[in-house]
Amino acid sequence: MSTDTSATPSAPSGAPDRARIDDAVRRLVVSESRLSVDPQSISDSEPLNGPLLKVNSIGFLGMLIRLEEDLDVALPDDLFVGRSFTTVSDLADLVTAAVEGAR
Amino acid sequence: MIEEAARTARAACAQAPPMGDPAYRNYCRSLGDQLTAQWPQIRKANEQDVAAAEERGMPPTLVDRLRLTDAHLDLLTRLADEVHDALPEATGPSAETPIGDWGSRRRIAKPLGVVLMVYEARPTATVEGALLCLATGNAVLLRGGKEISATNAELGLAVRRAAERAGLPGGLATVLDDPDRSQLRWLLSHPDAVDVLIPRGSPSLIDYCRTATSIPVIASGGGINHVFVHSSADLSLAVDITLNSKLSEPTACNALELALVERRVADEFTARLRTAARRHEGPVTLRTDPSLVPAPDSADAPDAPDTGFREEPLAEHDFGREVLEPSLGVLVVDDLDAAVAHVRRYGSAHTEGIVAEDPSAVATYTAAVDAAALIVNGSLRLHDGPTMGLGPELSISTGRLHVSGPVALDSLVTRQWVVSANGTLRH
Repeated sequence: MSTDTSATPSAPSGAPDRARIDDAVRRLVVSESRLSVDPQSISDSEPLNGPLLKVNSIGFLGMLIRLEEDLDVALPDDLFVGRSFTTVSDLADLVTAAVEGAR
Repeated sequence: MIEEAARTARAACAQAPPMGDPAYRNYCRSLGDQLTAQWPQIRKANEQDVAAAEERGMPPTLVDRLRLTDAHLDLLTRLADEVHDALPEATGPSAETPIGDWGSRRRIAKPLGVVLMVYEARPTATVEGALLCLATGNAVLLRGGKEISATNAELGLAVRRAAERAGLPGGLATVLDDPDRSQLRWLLSHPDAVDVLIPRGSPSLIDYCRTATSIPVIASGGGINHVFVHSSADLSLAVDITLNSKLSEPTACNALELALVERRVADEFTARLRTAARRHEGPVTLRTDPSLVPAPDSADAPDAPDTGFREEPLAEHDFGREVLEPSLGVLVVDDLDAAVAHVRRYGSAHTEGIVAEDPSAVATYTAAVDAAALIVNGSLRLHDGPTMGLGPELSISTGRLHVSGPVALDSLVTRQWVVSANGTLRH
């Protein structure tokens, strides 16, 4: 048995652009909110915890690994720690900054 | 090194005694003893995790998921006793069945192998996984979140000691303490190292585990659950069932999200539901179909204490939604076929219910609706291993293969045939 880390998204061949990050974040918040709506129907200004979205696992393993898989990037463990964000676009901004920082 | 952990788990499987060995029941007792003996250290480690989470700005609701209290010790030791008691029946051989005039057959339980449990936040999952998986002869790799790493390290010590003192290989249980996600990816890409994957946690985690690996997954798809109130229903019972199915534990995976009410009885049912919901102690929100007769002004309601009752219009985005709050919807449907169509489109095949006095409606509905458990004239919250008499459970599976419903002890083994042939040859 040998360690094959080829599946690990540590060195993105092409960093995702903002549109791709927005799509991934929308899919994520819809899934985390246990909704069945079209992710594209979620606006950037939608509150993460409001009448529609209920995102209550921010920072846990599932969200990080889902984002990493969707965007083919490695995100820092503490991406969400101590940050203040209230809307979908706030979350996308944070992920965008992390992706750009990893370049 | 993750491959070393995987190799150790596989070797422990091979070294473990056969199913039915007294060591497995001894392990249950031993684990209860170890948890009790080590509880001060476990609590201390947990306080470190909780303090670190608070320092990092984790919201209080999430911090609560990390916290262990003495009540958890009671729950876990009781669970160990229950597994001890349930083990012989769950893992024992079947009766011998004659085959023609030449032999007989019986089925015996064997472990699934190496189980990888991936979970977030709740440290009780570490003990539940180590208890049920080891008691059934499996090796288990426990990959919790890094936010409970100190707690898991202590729990891992208690589990290992319990296993060794019971005569089981300590390597049957390994707490993976490296939070590096590339290690999890490595395990998921090695079906030769892991036989079964059991994720517990957020929708993202379940979704990732279902799509990122070829390893068989036992997982709950979340509970987007409905109760269909047929026109033949006892409406008082239907109201009780509806409220109990949600308000007894709003965040449970077997909780109700939406009552589908046949149009002929919808207004009467909803009026009774409003009255009962107003009497409920604690907050409750009804999201009602706008086509229903509106509620009278709450100030005019004869028996409406100020208990936090709210009513809002049901919206289309409420369909197929799991709301982890004391809030439930009411949707009017034309008939049984429309209810079935709604459940097929929006349900998660977890728990579905019907309230009806008409046996043909019950038969038609239960045949047409796909769910791990179909509850007839009862609370959806009855879908639970211990409550259904199936013994302790690890989770509730919404999968179709191997196990559907409570993942009880007998779901953590496979069954193999033993054929006693008495010298018979195939002609």
